[in-house]
Amino acid sequence: MERCLFCGEMRGDPLSFHNLFSPEYAPGFCLSCREQLVPIDPRHCCRLCGRDLSRLDRNRVTEGTCSDCVKWANSGRNGLYVNNHALYHYNPFLKEMINQFKFRGDVRLADGFAAELTRAYRRIVHNCVREQSGILKRKPSFLLVPVPLSSERLLERGFNQADVLARQIGAPIVQALVRVRDEAKQSKKNRAERMRLRATPFQLNEKAAVSLSGHKILLIDDIYTTGATMRLAAEALAPARPDSIRSLTLIHG
Amino acid sequence: MLLLSRHLDQAPNYRADVQHFLFGREFRAEDLPFSEKLIRAHVKNGFISLRPGIMPLNENIFDLLGIRKKWLCARCGNRDQEAFAFCSCARCGKKCVYCRHCLNMGIVRSCTQLVTWQGPEPGFDRAFLDGRPLCKWDGVLSNEQQAAATAMKRTLAARESFLMWAVTGSGKTEIMYPAIEGQLRQGHHVALATPRTDVVRELLPRLRAAFPDVPISGLYGGSEEENLRAPLVISTAHQLIRYAGRFDCVFIDEVDAFPFHFDPMLEYAVHKAAKPGTPFAYLSATPPSELKNRFLSGSLKGVKLARRYHGHPLPIPRFRWIGSWQKLVQRGKLPSVLHEWLKNKMEAQQQVFVFVPSVSTAAALTELLQRNGFSRSAGVHSEDPLRHQKVADFRSGKLRLLVTTTILERGVTIANVQVGVVGADDPIFDEAALVQISGRVGRSAAYPNGDVVFFHNGKTLSMVRAVRHMVQMNQEGDR
Repeated sequence: MERCLFCGEMRGDPLSFHNLFSPEYAPGFCLSCREQLVPIDPRHCCRLCGRDLSRLDRNRVTEGTCSDCVKWANSGRNGLYVNNHALYHYNPFLKEMINQFKFRGDVRLADGFAAELTRAYRRIVHNCVREQSGILKRKPSFLLVPVPLSSERLLERGFNQADVLARQIGAPIVQALVRVRDEAKQSKKNRAERMRLRATPFQLNEKAAVSLSGHKILLIDDIYTTGATMRLAAEALAPARPDSIRSLTLIHG
Repeated sequence: MLLLSRHLDQAPNYRADVQHFLFGREFRAEDLPFSEKLIRAHVKNGFISLRPGIMPLNENIFDLLGIRKKWLCARCGNRDQEAFAFCSCARCGKKCVYCRHCLNMGIVRSCTQLVTWQGPEPGFDRAFLDGRPLCKWDGVLSNEQQAAATAMKRTLAARESFLMWAVTGSGKTEIMYPAIEGQLRQGHHVALATPRTDVVRELLPRLRAAFPDVPISGLYGGSEEENLRAPLVISTAHQLIRYAGRFDCVFIDEVDAFPFHFDPMLEYAVHKAAKPGTPFAYLSATPPSELKNRFLSGSLKGVKLARRYHGHPLPIPRFRWIGSWQKLVQRGKLPSVLHEWLKNKMEAQQQVFVFVPSVSTAAALTELLQRNGFSRSAGVHSEDPLRHQKVADFRSGKLRLLVTTTILERGVTIANVQVGVVGADDPIFDEAALVQISGRVGRSAAYPNGDVVFFHNGKTLSMVRAVRHMVQMNQEGDR
């Protein structure tokens, strides 16, 4: 697979010992496509939502947290929800890519993000280890919960993009949530409509719920915009008594 | 008796709107504007046929025995195995293969059904066939053109394919008219396909003027709603992908143009749109070698037209050495050879096309020219949003100088235009491209001559061959 998954050009990666001796190297994107992706530096992102702080107005940042997250913290709706990690900043190029992946159904593109997603997952685990006090540190085990689609949307699209992304990571996946109500697409709503308090469209999947108790949960989705979806999902997961809930998304936009 | 009449009452019926929508066209089941129940009833009665979107490809014995299965996309004809991928499909609950090649028209998975009409052909309004001539074009064909037109009409009427190998500016479009009229008179569905949007946009008004009573549908990316009842369809090859088994005769203009031979999907689309056994008429000034060989060996009928319609020979390009012009342009200097040539043309009040090998050089050279006092100049390339506007301004004479990539190498007719090819030694300018570019000059009878200059940094085989091609055509025309 020496062609770029997105543009179809030859990848033309410089020859290294690694790709010279590996029989088949991992599918991915060519250099010019990768250059158009804007990764978010984990050292300069919002502690809570993972957004790139360098792209934000100075006066909207307080102690490494953006003003949106301060609002969320004050609203008291966070519950067990801790924070979000995001890989890329949303830009027109990525929008085009997500369009092909999500709306045209090119599931193959997700393979190109596998390495980055796995790396982000390891970093989240590593951060949890560091936060533990005491001498004996236990490596925490995360359960991945993809944010579900309603059954109608799933049938229309043929796949759940969050599920496809979660499979790239290689950690245990639990389909703990069901989306019961089919609402208007989040991407078709404005900011105020998204953040307004509303009843959660998610329901706990009773069969899977037993396995969640005491575990750390990592919600997986393609994009974090206002954080409303994540809070609603966390709210629905709370009765299963998980230890904590974090989330990982491909994009912050 | 009673039983029989009841049986007749229940004779399966179909709906005319479904028939018109699907006749000669093929869609994914989910794209249809009809309810699933209605479609299922039509399928049950045998009016609509379904076929899977992805089919296993068994070309030879090894494919049958091989462990890894190979696939074929029934919609776009893709058989590049790297352009197929797997997904776990929520619709059928299985692992589905999908085609990555034609995703932008809606995904085709293994569980996708392609739907087409197989019932009776809908009745079309043939009011325009009232015995009077359809073609209202009032020009006159020269003797040579007339002979070619007659040969084309006869061959197509006999259901055989035809190659029209005619030099640039020989009036190919007008030569097609009798053949198109002949086909329409037989009640046939006729398609005129071409690889380029620009060519469709140029041909559509000309054909609408020539056949004012015939409903004509023009299809290109971003064109208006198509007329499903039109017997004559002018389309880019891309747009024909939605058609299947509709046309009784297909004309392919500029058959060698990019991207027709670059993308096998387009050839598949054109062949799928035609009924089996349909004759094709190929038109080109520079036919691809496969067609040329078939024509020369006699297995493909055709005519070679070596003379332009006004009877003057093709202008032969001159070579001018320009040195390493790219370096000069980078340093912000206009090569003096080019500067002088352009200044002469501007003083003579002539319009000039400057062809360049790439988008980036087009931008750089345009800026440089504007800084050097060529104010009425502009640059165009395929991604330029103002492209059509700039070409229109050039046509109207508002712009005197147009820097362009190869997008304008064909289908553009402007009287008394001069052509310079800067960097003619670039590999993007192959023989066909150079012949086409040179063919922009001297197309009108009022200005049958003109200047074509290849500015180069070392002659290439393509340049020499292009000149030899044109000289040979002129010699054949003299005979």
